[in-house]
Amino acid sequence: MSETTLSKAPMKKLKVVGISGGLNLRRRLEFMGINIGSVIEKQFSYGNGPVVVKVMNSTLAIGRGMAEKIIVEEEG
Amino acid sequence: MKIVLCGNPNVGKSVVFSYLTGYSAISSNYPGTTVELLKGRAKISSYEFEIIDLPGTYSIAGENKAEKVAKEIIEKGDYDLIIDVVDANNLERNLLFALELISLRRPLILLLNKCDIAKEKGVNIDFEKLEHFLGVRVIPVVATVGIGFNLLEREISRFIEDKTKYISNLSIGGEIGEKWKLIGEIISKVQKIEHKHPGFMERLEIITTTPSTAIPFGIFIMILSFYIIRFIGEGLINKIFDPLFNNFYMRVIEKLDPIIKYDILKFILFGKNPAPMEGFGVLTTGVYIPFVVVLPYIFSFYLVLSILEDIGYLPRLSVVLDRLSHKIGLHGYSTIPLIMGLGCKVPGIFSLRILETDREKLIAASLMFLIAPCMPQTAMIFSILKDWPLIYTIIVFGYIFMVGLIASFFLNKIMKGSSSDLFIEIPPYHKPLFKNLIFKLKLRIKDFIYDAVGMIILGIFLINIIDILGFMEKISSFFAPFFNKVLSLPSQIAIVMTTGFLRKDVSISMLIPFKLSLKEIMVSSFFLVSYLPCLSSMLVLSRELGKKMAAYVIIFNFMVSLIFAYIFSIILSIIL
Repeated sequence: MSETTLSKAPMKKLKVVGISGGLNLRRRLEFMGINIGSVIEKQFSYGNGPVVVKVMNSTLAIGRGMAEKIIVEEEG
Repeated sequence: MKIVLCGNPNVGKSVVFSYLTGYSAISSNYPGTTVELLKGRAKISSYEFEIIDLPGTYSIAGENKAEKVAKEIIEKGDYDLIIDVVDANNLERNLLFALELISLRRPLILLLNKCDIAKEKGVNIDFEKLEHFLGVRVIPVVATVGIGFNLLEREISRFIEDKTKYISNLSIGGEIGEKWKLIGEIISKVQKIEHKHPGFMERLEIITTTPSTAIPFGIFIMILSFYIIRFIGEGLINKIFDPLFNNFYMRVIEKLDPIIKYDILKFILFGKNPAPMEGFGVLTTGVYIPFVVVLPYIFSFYLVLSILEDIGYLPRLSVVLDRLSHKIGLHGYSTIPLIMGLGCKVPGIFSLRILETDREKLIAASLMFLIAPCMPQTAMIFSILKDWPLIYTIIVFGYIFMVGLIASFFLNKIMKGSSSDLFIEIPPYHKPLFKNLIFKLKLRIKDFIYDAVGMIILGIFLINIIDILGFMEKISSFFAPFFNKVLSLPSQIAIVMTTGFLRKDVSISMLIPFKLSLKEIMVSSFFLVSYLPCLSSMLVLSRELGKKMAAYVIIFNFMVSLIFAYIFSIILSIIL
C-alpha cells in the first residue's frame, strides 16, 4: 500500500517507513520506540491537533507537526 | 557508598526514593514530577548510602535538560551502584535505557516496579529468564506498598560482598536499531500478555481519549473540580473553621485583651475593631485570613488536584487542550504548570522546567500569572464577594481568564519562533492510593503553613506599623490621582496597591475596611491579582528564568493589567 504521514493515516496498525525530520527529532522518536520498521497503532486523532498512538505497551501523544514528519504504511 | 536511582519517566523512582530514604518526594502519575536531582541518605542492612534520584529519562543519549543532567551524572561515574527502576507494564520500552546502562559496565540492579498493575493487566514476565538474558539481577517490587524491598536490601548486602557479580557482560550493538532488535528478541522470550476483558479503568481510558467524548469530559471535569473545591472549601469555612474561630479562639483573645496595658500593642495585636476581616490585628485578622479563609481552600484544592494527578488525568487533559494551547504559543503539556499555578505560583514556576524552549517558558510564565490567581487569592475573592450573587465572582474570574488568553495570544504573535510539538507518554490510569494522597496533602499544607502563614502575619504587622507611623496617607496621596482618574477607584486604596505585591491574599482583605462598591471591588480584585506577581514568586521567577526573562514577564503583565483594569472599569460602569 502507499505511504502516507502519520497525521493522515487511518486508525490502524501502521509500519514506520521513514522519518523526515532532523537528527534530533529522529532520536527523540527512536528512544520511544518509533524507528524505521517498528509497528505502531494509531488510536485517535484530534482534528488538526495531536494524534495518539500505541507503541509497544505505551501510549504516546504526538503533536500534529511531528506526526506530519512520520511516514507510515499500512501494516500487512 | 553512593547509589544512583534512575529510569524512564513515571516508573515510580520518587516512590522508591521516598521508601529508601524516608525523605519526602512528591510523586504523581505523569512524566516529569521530579525535575531536579534529589539527594537523600539511607541505611540499608547496616550500611550508610547516599542516594541520588535522577530525573526520568528515556535514554542517556538524549538532548533535553533532564536527560543531559542524568547523562552527566551517570557518565561521571563517582558512584558504586546504579538501580534502574523499570515499569513492568512497559518493559519493552524501558529496556532501551537498561541496555544503555548495561553497556557502561558498571554495577547495576534492575528494579521491576508496578508488578501488581502488570499482573492485573495480564502482563506476565519471567524474571529469571530476564536476568539470564540481561546478565543483571532483576528484583520485582511494588514500591507503593513496599513489597519486594526486603529482596532489594538482601541484594545490596550481597553486592557489598562481591561487586563484580553485578556487572553484566552482555554484548550490545551501539546502533539504536540493533538495541531495539535485541529487545524484541528478549521480550518475545520473557513476556507473555494475556488478553483481559476491559475493566473500569480501560473503559475510562476510552472515554477520556476518544476525541468526541474526551473534550466534553475534559470540560465536565474542570467544572466539576471547581464546584467540588468550592463546596468543600465553603463547607469547611462555614461549618468548622469560622465557628471554631468565633466560639473558641476569639473567647480566649477577649480574655487576653484587658491584660495588655499598652495601647499601641493592643492596636497591633487586636486591631482597630474586633471584626476578624476588618480590624487588622496580628492575632485577629492575622489568624483569621490564613486559617479560616485560606486554609480550607488550600485543603480542598490540593485534595482535588492530588486525586486528578494520581489517577493520571492531567496528561489526558493536556492532549485535549493541545490545539487551543498552540493558538497561544504553547503545547498541551504547558497546561501542567498552569494547573499547578492555580494552587500557588511558586510550584507552578518550578514545573515550567518540563517545557523545552525559553519562548514557551516565557509565554507560560506570563500566562500563569494572568490566567487565574493562586488559591489564597481565590479564597479571598470568594470571601470578599460572598455577599453578592455568585455571578459577580464568576465575572471576575472569567475576565481574568480571558485577559490571560488575550495576552498570551498577543505575546505569541509578537515573539519570534513558534510553538514546539506535544510529545508525551500517556500513563495508564491508576487507582489513587490513599496513603500517597494523604502524604502529598500533608506536604502541601505544611508548605502553606510554613511559607505563607508567617508572611501573612508579618504583612499585617507591617501594615499596622505603616499606619501608626502615618505613612498610609503619604503613599495614598502620591498614587491617588492615578487610581482615582484612571481606574475610578477611591484614592485611599493606593496603599493596598503599593504594598499589595508583598502578600496578595492580605492585600485583597485590606480592601474590606474601605467599604467599596461592587464595581470597585471587582476592578481592584482584577488589578491586584494581575498587576505584579507576589514577592515570593518574583524571587523564584528570577531564579528559574533569569533576571532578564523575569523582568520581561513582570513588565508585560503590569502593562496588560493596567490596560485591562481600565477596560474592566469601563465595562462594569456600563453593565452594573
